[in-house]
Formats: sequence, structure tokens, C-alpha cells
Amino acid sequence: MQILAQLLVSGVAVGMIYGVIAFGYQLTFATSKTLNFGQGEALMLGALVGLTVASFVGYWVMLPIVLAFGLLQGAVVERLGVRPAIKSKSESGWIMATIALGIIFKNLAENIWGRDDLKFPSPIGERSIEVMGVRVLPMEIAIVAGALAMMLAVELFNRRSVFGKAVVATANDRDAAGLMGINTGQVITFSFALSSMVAALAGVLVAPVTLTGATMGSALGLKAFAVAIIGGLNSGLGVVVGGLILGITENLTGYYLSTGYKDVPGLVLLLLVLSFKPSGLFGKKTIKKV
Amino acid sequence: MLRVENLVAGYGKVQVLHGLSMQVAEGQLVTLIGSNGAGKTTTLRALSGMIRPESGRITLHGADIAGLPSHAITRRGLAHSPEGRRVFSTLSVADNLVMGAFPRLTGSRPRGDVAADLDRMFALFPRLAERRAQLAGTLSGGEQQMLAMARALMLNPDVLLLDEPSMGLSPRLVSEVFATIARLRESRVTMLLVEQFAAAALDVADFGYVMENGRLSASGPAAALRDDPAVRAAYLGTAH
Repeated sequence: MQILAQLLVSGVAVGMIYGVIAFGYQLTFATSKTLNFGQGEALMLGALVGLTVASFVGYWVMLPIVLAFGLLQGAVVERLGVRPAIKSKSESGWIMATIALGIIFKNLAENIWGRDDLKFPSPIGERSIEVMGVRVLPMEIAIVAGALAMMLAVELFNRRSVFGKAVVATANDRDAAGLMGINTGQVITFSFALSSMVAALAGVLVAPVTLTGATMGSALGLKAFAVAIIGGLNSGLGVVVGGLILGITENLTGYYLSTGYKDVPGLVLLLLVLSFKPSGLFGKKTIKKV
Repeated sequence: MLRVENLVAGYGKVQVLHGLSMQVAEGQLVTLIGSNGAGKTTTLRALSGMIRPESGRITLHGADIAGLPSHAITRRGLAHSPEGRRVFSTLSVADNLVMGAFPRLTGSRPRGDVAADLDRMFALFPRLAERRAQLAGTLSGGEQQMLAMARALMLNPDVLLLDEPSMGLSPRLVSEVFATIARLRESRVTMLLVEQFAAAALDVADFGYVMENGRLSASGPAAALRDDPAVRAAYLGTAH
């Protein structure tokens, strides 16, 4: 029982990371029907830039700097990789372009920070807290809180502010949003910026509990993609549930079966969802009134 | 106010408009009628930048707007209530109206009193007032049509393009929509109205253009068109 609880707790922390990256996938999919397949690299860059910046200005001043860096990085990806493809109405150009940019970012990181994994010190201590016999790392609590806060902030922005509503309008109907005087190209750039910002924050959050290095993002980005499909690319917070499902099943499989099979259940779930409910477990089918 | 000269436009390689010229004077209600596929909707789409004209001039307040993206054209004061309503289904009715005022709220148009205009829309369309907090996607077709019109009016536009505001409505709602259009005309809103109900459109309009296969086939004061035997035979039916 103790072990099961322990596995659940650490599964939740990893799952929240998957969820928040998947949330980032949703942001760009909503406005442009495209994704940044370099999302994992955005996370990795966030962590590494955060590590370097924190060594100069400390952890808390580093946070807003990393968020700003994430915004910028996402905007660059959209301008270089996605906009040309959308303009030329290319079906798959953006896929190749965002993957390519991801690889470039990874190589860049290897050259700047080296190939070895680095240690990202936890800002709130590394000693675990015992709650009813279950050991919880302070950083695991910070991951859950940080991820939820970030998603909530984006949701509030979308619901309350005029610019947020313009994002929702663009997601609903891009042409009609243009007729409202909304520059939908800018909205799409912004959604990529926001998506990378979310990933960069996820990187800073997860770095203290995993290894930090140029390759840390690839697996996370891919799994979060599976979560986005499982939860549904238009499911709102359904990706959180999807992330938790994957995080927990991974941990359970790793312990009870073998760590060698750790990645299998998530991918099996992905295949099942794709064949039986392609819009995702929580995805809405779009109904169009004629 | 709005002037079109030799407009050529279409979709990809398919040319729909073959050199269209027309104008809408300030404070006037001009209607564009014609059979299905004549190019009425395409004309409006080219005017508001939803499609890029191939050639020709479109001037608003004397400035050429042909080829500008639609958000830039809207910010210059042209509002378009498009075919098929196109309301924002996951935004509330009130938020749809707020989006109509987006350029005013973000500084690219004179702000005025947005809250007062919102109330004005709810007075003009009481049904929308009842449903102000409801998501637009849950409205009936008729309510969505009213919302699309009200949303376009929230720009305080210099020119309003209306594409088939009566589409899919019950007869009672159709007369309600036309009554609203007549009221807007009284308050001197400049409008270009595309309609299938040619008779009703000519009844409220000041001036009319008749389109056929991407070209104008007739034009004149609405009253004169209504009495033109050729127009009557082709578009108004004999029962009028």
C-alpha cells in the first residue's frame, strides 16, 4: 500500500509535466491547427537557460527571464517554421519545419552546455517531506502547483481579457476573427510564444527532479504529444487528466512489471484512443450548424 | 464613401467577378441582388479582404483598400456580417459583441462608449439581451443571424456589408430583420445589402445593382428597378 501511494505521488508529478506540455500543444492547435513538434526542445532550452541565468541572478529573478525567453523562442519558431507553411497552404511543411528547428535547438544546446547532464539545484530544498509514510519532494509539489497556476493563468487570460477573447475568436473562426479587425497572424504567433513559454516553465520545474541537458526534452515532448492525443487536442484541461493517466501508469508499469516496459502502456493507450476515439478521451466533436 | 472600379476576383484559378464597378454613397442603403452564383457573396468577400482581388480598385474614404488583409480593412471602418453568420460559438453572446468592437477597444478606432453601444444592441435585438451570457453556438439560426448583424454594428462602421441577413429565417423573423435594416437606414448607417429576397431588399434600399454571372446587368434607384419589367421577370416573380 505504501509503495502504491509512493508510485502514485511521483506519477502525479511527472503527469503534470506531461499535462502542461500537452496544454502547450493545444494552444497552437486551437489557433492554427498546427503544432510545434519542437516543444520538448523548448522545454529543454527553458531549463538550460534557466540554469545559466539562475547562476547569475538567483532562482526567483530567473523565472520571469525564462518566461520571456520562452515567449521569444516560440515566436521565432512560428515565424521561421510555421508561417511560411501556413501561407503556402502546405499540409505538412510545418511538421518538418518544427522538427528541424527542434533538432537545431538541440545541437545548439549541446554546443553551448555540452553533452553531459547537469545538476539543476532545487530552490526549495531537496529533502523529502514524509506525509503518512509517503515521501514527497518539495519540488514535486512545486511542479503540480506551478503547472496548475500556469494553465489557470492562461485560461483566465482567455476568458477575461479582450486579447484573450480575440485568441478564442481566432480559434473559433479565423476568417471571422479577421473581420473583427483582429490580426490573426499575430494571434497565431502569440499562441506559439505562449506555448513555448509554458514549455519553458515546465522545463524549469522538472529540471531539479530529472537530469538537465540537451536531450532531456525529446522524450518529454513526445510523451506529451501522446497525452495531447489521449486527452484530446481541444479538450481544455482534459490533458491534465491524460497526463496524470500516463504519468501514473508509467510508474506502476516500471515498478510492477519492468522499467523496460515503462513506455509501453502509454503508447498502447495512444493507439487505442486513436482507433476508438480519435478526438481524444475528453475531446469535443465539433458540431457545425448549417 | 465606398467605390469599386473594375474589380476582378475569384477563388484560385476560377474567376468569379469580371470587372465590377459600383459605389455606395454615404448614408445610403444600396442593395446587390441577383440569382445564386452571380457573385454577390464574392463581391462582399473581396470588399472586406476575405479574398484578395486580382485587379481593380476599391476605395474607402478615397483610399485604396484593395488587397489589404481583412483586419486592416475593418480597422478603416468597414464591417462585414458574412454569409453563414460565422459567430464565435464558444464565446458568449456579449463577448461576441465585444469582439465586434475589438478595434475600438484596442485603439485602432475611436473608442466612443462601448458599454452604451452594447446596451443599444440589446435594445435593438431584445432576444440577444435575454441570452447575453449564453454561448453563441447554442443560439438558434435566427438568433445567430441577429448576433452577426449586431456584432458588425459594434464597430460603429462607416460602411456595413450585410450578406443574406434573411438566410434560413422563418417568415416572421425575415420581416423582423428587414424592419431592423430599415431602422438602421433611418439612422443613416451606410449599408451594402446582398439579398435573395430581391423584392424586400428593393423595398428598403435607396439604390440597387443587379448582378449576373459576375457582371452588373442593371442598376438604378431601387424604386425604378422594382418597376423595371426585365428585373421583375427575372428576380421578383410576377406575384409581386
